[in-house]
Amino acid sequence: MPEPIIQVSKLTKVYRVPERAPGLGASIRSLFKPVYRDVEAVTGVSFALQPGEMVGLIGPNGAGKTTTLKMLSGLLYPTQGEARVAGFTPWARQPGYLRRISMVMGNRSAMNWDIPPLDSFRVLSKIYRVPETHYQQTLDELIALLEMEPLLKKPVRNLSLGERMKCELVAGLLYRPEVLFLDEPTLGLDVAMQRRLRVFLKQYNQQHTVTVILTSHYMADVAALCQRVMLIHHGQLIYDGVLQTLAEKLAPFKLVKLQFSAPVADFESYLSAFPSAEMLPRENSHLILRVPRAEVAQVTAHLLQGLPVADLSVEDPPIEAVIDQVYEEGRV
Amino acid sequence: MNHRGGWELIKNTWQSWLQHRGFFFLLAFGWMLPLLVYLFVWSAAAGDGTVGGLTRDALAGYYLALILVNQLTYSSTNWTVGDVIRYGGISRWLLQPLSPLYHALSSEIAGKVVFMLFSVPVTGLIALILQPELDLTWEQGLLFFPALLFAWFLRFFWGYWLALLAFWAARSDSLLALQDTLVFLIGGHLAPFALLPAWLQGPARVLPFRYMSAFPVEVLTGQLDRAEILFGFAVQIAWGITAFLLYRFIWRRGVRHYEAVGG
Repeated sequence: MPEPIIQVSKLTKVYRVPERAPGLGASIRSLFKPVYRDVEAVTGVSFALQPGEMVGLIGPNGAGKTTTLKMLSGLLYPTQGEARVAGFTPWARQPGYLRRISMVMGNRSAMNWDIPPLDSFRVLSKIYRVPETHYQQTLDELIALLEMEPLLKKPVRNLSLGERMKCELVAGLLYRPEVLFLDEPTLGLDVAMQRRLRVFLKQYNQQHTVTVILTSHYMADVAALCQRVMLIHHGQLIYDGVLQTLAEKLAPFKLVKLQFSAPVADFESYLSAFPSAEMLPRENSHLILRVPRAEVAQVTAHLLQGLPVADLSVEDPPIEAVIDQVYEEGRV
Repeated sequence: MNHRGGWELIKNTWQSWLQHRGFFFLLAFGWMLPLLVYLFVWSAAAGDGTVGGLTRDALAGYYLALILVNQLTYSSTNWTVGDVIRYGGISRWLLQPLSPLYHALSSEIAGKVVFMLFSVPVTGLIALILQPELDLTWEQGLLFFPALLFAWFLRFFWGYWLALLAFWAARSDSLLALQDTLVFLIGGHLAPFALLPAWLQGPARVLPFRYMSAFPVEVLTGQLDRAEILFGFAVQIAWGITAFLLYRFIWRRGVRHYEAVGG
């Protein structure tokens, strides 16, 4: 097994947050006697990533995802713990390290909004010391992959949110970083643009074996791109493994959807042979049953045998529902 | 230092600023106005004689040169540094393998070019009307340039360290406003140094504000003897070094604070 490119050990970040009661009196008192509270944003997080891995870092708002990414990109100094990324300690922010990583943030821009993207790309290529031949080659490839030729000569200010995100990705990948931190890259984008960016990221990751940590609130992003997920809750890493396994572990049932070609009288008593199968509210004209994974084959056979079934499908429960369950319960 | 990256950034910022040239021309005009007002006030006071040893034509030479020197040394960039820190834009700067100082310097250089595109022709036009007196010697001309360069250095870094206090204080730009006020009051804008009351001349002689824009003009217009010029350079350089060291100190502490609180 190759050396991990990211090795994180017991990473902890405690913020000291000023606090005061509402009102003018409290605000004056806080001038003379400020009160602080320690907030543990990340607690003892450890993991390792192999080169080329693409991992989803998920968790509810305020769980510690962005704090973790900021520590790994070098923007934040941890309170405790160690991290090595591409052979460097991130928070030393050595130029050699900054040239190996890229952080693309959905809510922050690396572009100059007054001028066309091509001008910003050229500046970045000089800042990151990309040789001229590599620059042109990389730029051509990224422009083709993202289908963004028509955008290059318009000022960034005049581009749509999705078009700007494409520019951010080019800006972040222009110098071929080995490690890519993607913080909510599809934030606010429409479904078609989200899908296009996912296709791009998948292709790019496969072609260049870049290591990616992705945070996103859209589970569709994570499900499409990352086999492995790390789930953070209240600053702690509560799951690190395959997304599918997490889903199976948390939701040990499948959904059987069926439609009949003729009316069926007393369906419930027909189903009584399987007391563990549960009827859920109908979706349009489909009946929905929640069936334990182990019984799915028997239940579907039973249904097909004795009923006028026109359509039948077996599905996993939506991943959003599974993740929501973890967020609610705070454990796996 | 990554000079090629820095130079490319400067060119880029210049292009970006030219997009908004109308706004910057208006800004340059706004900076000109108070100095023109005081030029007319002191010219009226001088009448056909002199005030503080300066004739009406000499006052015109002083104030017109001051209009240009003021714009060449004024650091409008520092007003935006606080916002960059407050709203977290500085994260972008910190993630690039380039000294963040380049981002401020690129705006500085871009700004000077755009402001001069407006101010040089306008000042030239006013000079044609007012016919100022300027007896330029080689020595004055040669000493003017280092005085101008040090004045910019001092004014920029003084404002920059004040702006960097935004790492801790939400509205550090009020200190920039205070700096501007002091330059205006005792830095040769409201009145040439020679016209200040004696009790103000003492502090004005040793504080940094006169050396941020009036001193190069006094050198150029021949208002100072050799000893005063030497003293002026010594004070200017001493404050310049102090401002630079304060910038380095505040920057290091500020970034450490930013890394601790998360921006």
